[in-house]
Amino acid sequence: MTSGGTSDNRRRTASAQDLVDPPGGPRDGGGASRTNRAGAAIIGGAVALALLLAGTGAVASMVHGAKERLAHPAAVAAQQAVAVADDAEAPYCTPAFKQVLQRVLNACGLVGAEQRRGCQPADVKTFASITDDDFNALFTPLKERGAVLMFDDASDVLDTGAKKLLDERWLDRKGARYFFVVARASRDGTTERNRALSHKRANSVLFHLKESFQDPDLDNQVGLLWLGSEFAQLSNAYCDWPTSREGKRCTPETINRSAFASWVDCRL
Amino acid sequence: MRAKKAALLAVIAAVLGLVFSAYSTYDYAQQLDRQVHAVHCSFIPGAPVSSDADNPCKAALFSPFSAVLRATYWGGVPISLFGLGAFAFFVGYAVYLWVGDRRLSRAAYPTFVVLSLGPVLVSVVMFTISVTHLHALCKLCVGVYTASLIMATAAVVGMRLHSRETKGDSPDGAARGWPLPAFALVSLAALGASSLAPALAYVGLLPDYRPLLETCGKLATSSDPHHGLLKIRTMHPVRAVTLFEDPLCPTCKAFHERLVDENVFEKLDVTMAMFPLDSECNWMLDRALHPGACVLAKAVICGGNDRARSILEWAYDEQDTLRELGKQGTSSLTAKISQRWGHDIAACVGSKQVDTQLNQQLHFAANNHIPVSTPQMFLGNERLCDEDTDLGLKYTLAQLAPEVLHD
Repeated sequence: MTSGGTSDNRRRTASAQDLVDPPGGPRDGGGASRTNRAGAAIIGGAVALALLLAGTGAVASMVHGAKERLAHPAAVAAQQAVAVADDAEAPYCTPAFKQVLQRVLNACGLVGAEQRRGCQPADVKTFASITDDDFNALFTPLKERGAVLMFDDASDVLDTGAKKLLDERWLDRKGARYFFVVARASRDGTTERNRALSHKRANSVLFHLKESFQDPDLDNQVGLLWLGSEFAQLSNAYCDWPTSREGKRCTPETINRSAFASWVDCRL
Repeated sequence: MRAKKAALLAVIAAVLGLVFSAYSTYDYAQQLDRQVHAVHCSFIPGAPVSSDADNPCKAALFSPFSAVLRATYWGGVPISLFGLGAFAFFVGYAVYLWVGDRRLSRAAYPTFVVLSLGPVLVSVVMFTISVTHLHALCKLCVGVYTASLIMATAAVVGMRLHSRETKGDSPDGAARGWPLPAFALVSLAALGASSLAPALAYVGLLPDYRPLLETCGKLATSSDPHHGLLKIRTMHPVRAVTLFEDPLCPTCKAFHERLVDENVFEKLDVTMAMFPLDSECNWMLDRALHPGACVLAKAVICGGNDRARSILEWAYDEQDTLRELGKQGTSSLTAKISQRWGHDIAACVGSKQVDTQLNQQLHFAANNHIPVSTPQMFLGNERLCDEDTDLGLKYTLAQLAPEVLHD
């Protein structure tokens, strides 16, 4: 008993290599071989189990980590902010420009529930609390984007050149949201007459756009402004702008018989 | 050579398979937080993650073939998890062969040979898919394929050597362990349990993604007063979607292929807006991410509702070539369009009308204040989050539009 017990203890405390490769050698009978096979299986099984547990534990840790990041994404999300699609915003959209734009849009019915089309000069006087010269200066950055459509004296009819230029400008919308038409009349004649003429010129532009493009969204895009002779007159400098009568004589009188048309690349 | 050496080779191969599977699993599990992560793509274990946005490992990871049960679990259950469990088993088994040497059961090597054919078979299938569908070989995957092949080869060689070495050792087969069928059955059960264990832990711990699916915005307005958007014809449209696509965007290509491969696209009632990430026509960018995308977007629009899909799919198929032509300028790209789609489409690309229509599509995006990225898909008015257009696509569709997954 004692001897057998000692032998058992020795076997229990034997190394793994002893289990599979005992001193008696490999060909020492069925019982020993079974023990050796069992030893090898135990080692293999232990290795597999250890790796499996480690692997499964690692997987659990990975999923848990992802769950934590999912629950607290703030730091990561802040680094991955994505731009949002919107209308264009050109450098000339200064606060002063936007202030005028906003007031004109409100007054002209393009923003809000009003169904008006166009603004009377008095509205602009009230809403655009800046000087006439400053008002004109605001449009200076639009030189490349806009065009001056010239009219004959006392006429509100768009000629072929004016229509062509207007069409080109309209089709070159890019990211702009609003199309501005600012009609003018020269100082010839009475204030009332000039104001009415300016209004007609603005309408000529609008009607041409409607007729040519039949854009269902046009009413939400075009802002009309008609300025009579009581407003600041355009100077000769505007003769350098793209006009519908390139190469023809341009004077302070002719440049003010016109409608200025341009997309405005500003967000409001 | 002795069988013991073959067993040692099998141990090394199985360890390599385990390591490659572990890296692959790690990369997959990283994506569970729905953020963007780089992935490992190297034959060298421990090499840093690849910063290349279009590496083949990423393509494989985001492909429909990298996971199973995608409709049930967000992202599905990555097959690398099964590999992880299986290779853990094979390492143990190969160690058993190595340590047991000549005293092994007669059934040990034949069983190992049979079991090791499993990873080889899976590797052959995945290799074929990589070549025929993904057109790229992911290094981690190749690592697993190679490890599987070496392990199986070592198993066969080991079996022959072991048989020779033990010839005459014991004339009584019963004295050399369990009979082959019983041994193989127990081993197979152990392999199955080992393969499933990591996957069970994985799915048991997955977060609940359902509340996150509808948190990525909506279309503010679906009105299209100019009728400038494209209506793409499909076979059995059952669910209205709006897609924003860029012909030169690799992610758009992958997304489109995913929809087609999953047999989903034909069940969508598709309204499509071109959203080229090219500053030549898209004012929302300060530089062109995909030069030439505006020209190709116009070509797609010129195809009208009938041919738009064909032209878009052509652009996706030829994306690498077209991207290079796009860098050379409009004329090269237009010539390519003319060569493939004829003079009419090429002429249309240069027309004012198509400029206007593309501009209307871009304004549709601006009016809806969508993120400046592609692709984007809106199920009805609900925007699918970016992460739900790749890994989570099938799960998301199963939750929000199950009808498109049914035959």
